Amino acid sequence: MLEAGLCNYVLITYGHNARSGDSMKKLLFAMSGDDAIFGHFGATAGYAMAARRAMHEFKTGPQTWKQIAVGQRKWANLNPRAMMYKQTMSDRDYDTAPRVVEPFGLYDNCLISDGGRACIVTTLERARDLRHPPVTLMGLGMDNPSADLTRADYLAGPTGARRAGRQALKMAGITLEDIDACQIYDCFTYTVEITLQDYGFFQPGEGCDWLRGGTIEPGGSMPVNTSGGLLSEAYQMGMTPLTEGVMQLMGRCEERQLGPQTKTRNPEIILCSDNGGILQSHACYILRRV
Amino acid sequence: MSLKDKYAIVSVGYTPQGIVPERSALSFHLEACANAIEDAGLQKSDIDGLICYRHFPPSTGEPDVPPYLVAQHLGMTPAYLAQDAN
Repeated sequence: MLEAGLCNYVLITYGHNARSGDSMKKLLFAMSGDDAIFGHFGATAGYAMAARRAMHEFKTGPQTWKQIAVGQRKWANLNPRAMMYKQTMSDRDYDTAPRVVEPFGLYDNCLISDGGRACIVTTLERARDLRHPPVTLMGLGMDNPSADLTRADYLAGPTGARRAGRQALKMAGITLEDIDACQIYDCFTYTVEITLQDYGFFQPGEGCDWLRGGTIEPGGSMPVNTSGGLLSEAYQMGMTPLTEGVMQLMGRCEERQLGPQTKTRNPEIILCSDNGGILQSHACYILRRV
Repeated sequence: MSLKDKYAIVSVGYTPQGIVPERSALSFHLEACANAIEDAGLQKSDIDGLICYRHFPPSTGEPDVPPYLVAQHLGMTPAYLAQDAN
């Protein structure tokens, strides 16, 4: 609409009383098919099945996902807005968490939150006249490879992240080497792994080693989900990663700000993702501070 | 022509989040929108496009929240309204 000249300022909004209302329960029951009588219902079961398949096809599992859950929690502990701001997570906390749907324990699951999030998009020219440093959409990519889990001809990837990521990098004219941080849609820990893997940050099964040593944490070489993400900040859908990418590039993240104070690179380019269904649809955005 | 760097995100609107009882989905939309407009330093009359990100069934006792309802309650009449799927 902006490109067509029909709009100057587009407001994008999300809001939901998902935690205190009964909407999510209705949605998850509505998603359930005949397989619910065998115990397969809701988003967790779908992602758990995909993750289980991945465990058969390449080296992954809780030892990989623990590094994602614990690493993101360290970012949340720097973010007063995060639901988990005051709750630390140790390796042992992760290991001993109640099981939800195998192979997932509690901390492989995102939060369910009340709240809302909005942002405004305009032309770069108009953006320069406003209050904050503009954050441009440097690259965009989308790929929607299947209609639902049972019709997917993959379970362990490549997901839509493969093509969406390539499109976004091509449009931006950069490579993964140019990315300073990532904000990845993290409905489950496994979603972060398969998304980064399909973008090409590591080869299938190498995620566990890539993550080792705090790669995604404060002080790490590739910070991921610096607000705590859907796992540890709050579930504002894809607005959680998108707006965190924007706030980091604007330099407005206070204690968790990327740069010297968190012993990370000063961010100029941040890659964000969103996905829908059970890994059915995918969007990749590359944001840049100009 | 490439869209690279032609468009920019200029503000973010937050709301209280977590466990925030006794609030409608619509109320979170309105608060987030108002905060995003203020954060940009814009007026609501400047906004001429509104996109509601994803759409869920309303909780019991609440109205469905399509974008026109958000616009109406904000007192805006954008030229363009859109609803993302869920």
